Amino acid sequence: MMKIYFELNGEPRYVEIKPGEMLLDLLRRLGMRSVKEGCRTGECGACTVLLDGKPIRSCLTFAAKVKGHRITTLEGLGTPEDLHPLQEAFLETGAIQCGFCTPGMILVAHHLLSHNPDPSPEEVRGAITGNLCRCTGYVKIVDAVMLAAERKRKGEWR
Amino acid sequence: MSVRRYHYARDVEEALSLLEAYEGRGAILAGGMDLSRGMAPEIEGLIDITTAGLSGISWANGDLRIGATTTLEEVRLSDEVRGYLGGFLAEVMAHVATLPLRCMATLGGAVVSAHPWADVPTALVALGAEARWRTGEKTEKAPIEELYRRPFRAIFRRSVLTEIRLPRWEGAFAFEKVSRNAGDIALINCACGLGLDDTGKIAWARVVVGATPYRAERLAAVEALLAGETPAEGLWEEAARKAEAEARVGDDMRAPAEWRRAVVPVIVRRALERAANAVMGDER
Repeated sequence: MMKIYFELNGEPRYVEIKPGEMLLDLLRRLGMRSVKEGCRTGECGACTVLLDGKPIRSCLTFAAKVKGHRITTLEGLGTPEDLHPLQEAFLETGAIQCGFCTPGMILVAHHLLSHNPDPSPEEVRGAITGNLCRCTGYVKIVDAVMLAAERKRKGEWR
Repeated sequence: MSVRRYHYARDVEEALSLLEAYEGRGAILAGGMDLSRGMAPEIEGLIDITTAGLSGISWANGDLRIGATTTLEEVRLSDEVRGYLGGFLAEVMAHVATLPLRCMATLGGAVVSAHPWADVPTALVALGAEARWRTGEKTEKAPIEELYRRPFRAIFRRSVLTEIRLPRWEGAFAFEKVSRNAGDIALINCACGLGLDDTGKIAWARVVVGATPYRAERLAAVEALLAGETPAEGLWEEAARKAEAEARVGDDMRAPAEWRRAVVPVIVRRALERAANAVMGDER
């Protein structure tokens, strides 16, 4: 076992991990249930989290790698009582069916909008290329990100 | 997984001394794309070199130097890379996998893993890139094209790749890839480069196909056919037919050899036309 320090959703964490443990397993162990186990091969995007603001696959990331870094999961963006504007947009446009892909989708969308608040639908499709949804057919997910982007440009959120 | 220790290497020397101490039971870890998906059962120690100061991109002595642990997304976004050959390498990176994987995978990892279906080796072989690595106290170097003809997997079990150097070229390159969807691995890929002399004739040509399903290979006969010729529509077609005849293609689970044979001339012609348009645009 080894101990690492990192920041999880703005909170300092000092945790004991196994040297070969994956970040996905650590985050689930810490109660971050938004981080889903899908394929465990980096293909599906359900386990996506932000490492220092950049999207990564937690299933392919050794937990030890986050020592000294910032990790953001969906829990760090919004809560059931205080939804993030991207979560609101996903709800309003019907972009959620089973919900399994939603955390990963929202995190990559968050990264996109933080760099490009005025994306084209094509750019949104490009951003979510690595996130698979087996329910919605993606149309409403793209609508949701476009709606959240429009609200961001209006200054309704930052 | 039998990993017992995880080490944050502070520099290359520490990584090498740990690697030696593990006597075959240690593994160098950068982006972790391959190690996380399947590790030899004997591996007990992971030696993370992303903490060893091997990331960064800069020009020095006429070469564009990219540190081995620089991520593919860092390469794609780099001003230096975007300014190199009209952003050719940045464009190649945009074709590689998806953003979250590019934020993890490193250029050095792509060179060392050298998956036959990968896009990075195809581009780097076309560019005449040179790999530099450390074995014990020795710094060694070789063009990546040549490295792949050696038992490079054995080399990197006892060495640390430190840097990739890209030479300056007077000319232009273009990359083509066919895959099932955006972000997927290549069914076949191709990188071509052209340079013109003062009279407008082709001074040099580089023609590389990869994912055939074999690792990137230069088509020397096609390059020889192009050298000394004047760019013209019929020339690209002739080069494409030569490529069709010369390329080594095979079957795998993704595509049959016949399909690859039929696609080689299409992507070679497209890449040559794009490179020619870019280089002649430069001339005007």
